[in-house]
Amino acid sequence: MKMPQVASVLLAGAVVCGVAAHASAQTYDGPRTADGRPDLGGIWQVLGSAAWDLETHNAQDGIPAGLSVVDGGTIPYRPAAATARDTNRANRLTDDPVRKCFLPGVPRVTYMPWPFRIVQTPDHVVLSYEYAHTVRIVYTDGSPHPLPNDFWMGDSRGHWEGDTLVVDTTHFNGQTWLDAGGNHHSNELHVVERYTPVTEYHLDYEVTLEDPRTYTRPWTMRMPIYKRMEPGLRLLDYDCVDHLLDALSETEGGAR
Amino acid sequence: MTKVHAGRIAVVALVLAVPATSLAQDGGFEPPRTEWGDPDLRGHYLPGPYQALETPTSEWVPPEGANQGQGAAFSRFFEPDPDAPARPTPARPDGPMIIDPPSGRVPFQPWATEQRNEIMARQDQLEHLDPRVKCLPAAFPRAHLPVGYNTYQIEQGPGFVLMLYEWNHHSRYIPLDDSPHIDPAIRLGMGDSRGRWEGNTLVVDTTNFTDNTWPVGHGAPPEGAPGSALSTGHGVFHSGQLHVIERFTFIDANTIQYTATIEDADVFSQPWTLRYNALQRAADDHMLFEYACHEGNGRNLSLMTGIDVEAARVHPIP
Repeated sequence: MKMPQVASVLLAGAVVCGVAAHASAQTYDGPRTADGRPDLGGIWQVLGSAAWDLETHNAQDGIPAGLSVVDGGTIPYRPAAATARDTNRANRLTDDPVRKCFLPGVPRVTYMPWPFRIVQTPDHVVLSYEYAHTVRIVYTDGSPHPLPNDFWMGDSRGHWEGDTLVVDTTHFNGQTWLDAGGNHHSNELHVVERYTPVTEYHLDYEVTLEDPRTYTRPWTMRMPIYKRMEPGLRLLDYDCVDHLLDALSETEGGAR
Repeated sequence: MTKVHAGRIAVVALVLAVPATSLAQDGGFEPPRTEWGDPDLRGHYLPGPYQALETPTSEWVPPEGANQGQGAAFSRFFEPDPDAPARPTPARPDGPMIIDPPSGRVPFQPWATEQRNEIMARQDQLEHLDPRVKCLPAAFPRAHLPVGYNTYQIEQGPGFVLMLYEWNHHSRYIPLDDSPHIDPAIRLGMGDSRGRWEGNTLVVDTTNFTDNTWPVGHGAPPEGAPGSALSTGHGVFHSGQLHVIERFTFIDANTIQYTATIEDADVFSQPWTLRYNALQRAADDHMLFEYACHEGNGRNLSLMTGIDVEAARVHPIP
């Protein structure tokens, strides 16, 4: 586990500078942590239909209609990747990795219809998601991405630009989708998420995805993230594997 | 599992009446404090050394050639991973983790002893297979017993402790308040925890468990051993009545002693308690890695149960 952390310093630095500052005017007047950052602690959730399809789509059985959350409306796929998306979409009931209870990847986990908790410390931010008890640990201590292991949820390193938490995630395994509609990426995906608190009760969430194997250019999605305000609210369980094994036991007639 | 136990209330009251001083053995070590004055548990930890859960029994002798358990592979399907990270190997403590009852054995009700043997005899069936092998959660105290690929990260803030478990990317958020446990209709793989400080000891009270996890079980059982002959805790099961009281106490700068009292009047004849130096401080540059358990587990499950899991594993959500 003690991996020498070498060359990726340069890479991470270059990437972060390249995406540079939309740094919003500091209008946030909500609570702050002892070190002066906006206090993002609490339980949050996205509302909307992006989990089913990031682009504009009509309703289908069990799926709410939605307007595109993608800047410009559509994802700039390369031709082969657009074909792959159409195939994914046609087979989504069997091929969606989330239907196999695989970890959902980034940024999909953010806008799935389950809440998540943010716990913030001076040198890292923990995101714990109700869906499949997924956890992301976002280091904000200036450390670089590790050596090129790959991960379902990628490796996340963050920093603050004013009141915006900027999270840079790479080292994906390329086996996750972006939504239940077959939108996808390769293992070259590089995600930059920007969490900007606007009020105590909502964040602007802006995500730029770069993946030269899949897209013709970097593209951006954006949506609000809302604070859940119910008194006594807890993250509960959605242990996908538990439900899958139950279904498996039933189809197999119980014990075997 | 749905029997009525009139005595349960009285049993609970007795346990709560045991003074904390008899359970916490901090040896007077003064832990560092957080900025807001709580004992500071923050950091990364490795599991402690292997120690048997129960006093071994002599009723079963492993056949020639069978794995001999403890550090051995779980079954013929699991071999030690040559790439597994090295672990510190402090001397194995003598004696079992269980300090109460004095027998050092899980105090099963008689029917539950038989049930445990049944569970261990049917590890080739999905229903009975070790829930950890199925990538289901480990209940408590199991999540704090030694297992390969688990390390811990503890966070604290005013009013809460967050524990992160590398094994199967679990976490639990422990409010430090006197709010009641969540609605009993809610069932959670890791339960619903509330914490409080008793001196330098973090006391965590957890209920609302599901009934399909194991509360203990670590190391590896010898192949073919009946559950009643084991010292590893495999096959120990619980009902939804499981109630666990855990105590986390720094006994020196690098060691958190862990004491857990397990109550489940549907399964056990009395509450029982284990103690173990469960968390050993890790090196400064330690980090938790992603442990994607289920994602690569289809072939294992198919080998162990005969079910074509890869073909059947699509789960119907929209």
